[in-house]
Amino acid sequence: MLRSFVGLLMFAYAFTAYSHPVIYKDGFVASSFNMSSYSDNQLLYTFSPKWATGLNHWRFTKGKDNTELGLARLNYLLWRKNGEDSQANIYLLSGAGVMDSEIGKKASREAYLGGFEADWETRTLYTALKYYHFTSPAVSDISMTQARVGISPFEAPFESLQSWFMVQAMYMPQVQKDVIITPMLRFFYKSVLWEMGSSTRGEWMLNLMVHY
Amino acid sequence: MKKAVLVLLCFVSLSAFAGEINVKVSGMVCSMCAQGIKKKFSKIEFVKDINVNLDDKIVIIKTEEGRDISDQQINDLIKEAGYNVANIERK
Repeated sequence: MLRSFVGLLMFAYAFTAYSHPVIYKDGFVASSFNMSSYSDNQLLYTFSPKWATGLNHWRFTKGKDNTELGLARLNYLLWRKNGEDSQANIYLLSGAGVMDSEIGKKASREAYLGGFEADWETRTLYTALKYYHFTSPAVSDISMTQARVGISPFEAPFESLQSWFMVQAMYMPQVQKDVIITPMLRFFYKSVLWEMGSSTRGEWMLNLMVHY
Repeated sequence: MKKAVLVLLCFVSLSAFAGEINVKVSGMVCSMCAQGIKKKFSKIEFVKDINVNLDDKIVIIKTEEGRDISDQQINDLIKEAGYNVANIERK
């Protein structure tokens, strides 16, 4: 079932350009975040300025064991502050689907996601904090906390290439006992964003996001 | 008589409108996210061009001569894109 879900997700990727939790009304966002310890692929549709829904696949890898989740998602923009030179957001994240677990207890069961994301940014400064908690009966819970700080060396005009230097700290206690620190480069041009980095432990990171 | 004057005034204001609307938008700090504004306004058939000035936080909308977008519609579209209108100016 999970394979079919992933297949459907990949099929959808082939035909749709690629996630912020909620973007502009009627906007699609597809995103793919990849490290060797986890991946997060999403296809979301923002159906109102405050709500987005879609499909989401997660993989967590601990040694040779993988845990995969396929989820239907519902995100909510709880609060936004549009300042003169800044924007701040708080989102609530939720999801329901199936978890196929090899980490901890081995089982396939229904699973649920709850979490939040908060960010504050200007044209040259970026900060974000995310927390995800995956839970499933009889299967071990997984949590992920991510914090990011970024700086852009220049203010790029609209529809020009924008570059950022960022550092991400990520903690997934059920997958890796240490905090994973990853310096990275972020670029975006028009509706496409991509990030490349390598953690201090040598784990690569490659992320892609497209608004459509 | 009053109706005739009103109609005349409307006509004069429409003719005088050269087709450029400058909308000051708050919170517009990310050029990727501002793409949503461009997408929203480009769906209006008589909009010829949309430009975003991130330095001044202004969206410049060029329409066909004499065609205007109401303040209400501008507010609604900017809100749907996730931002707030600070000011609207017609040139």
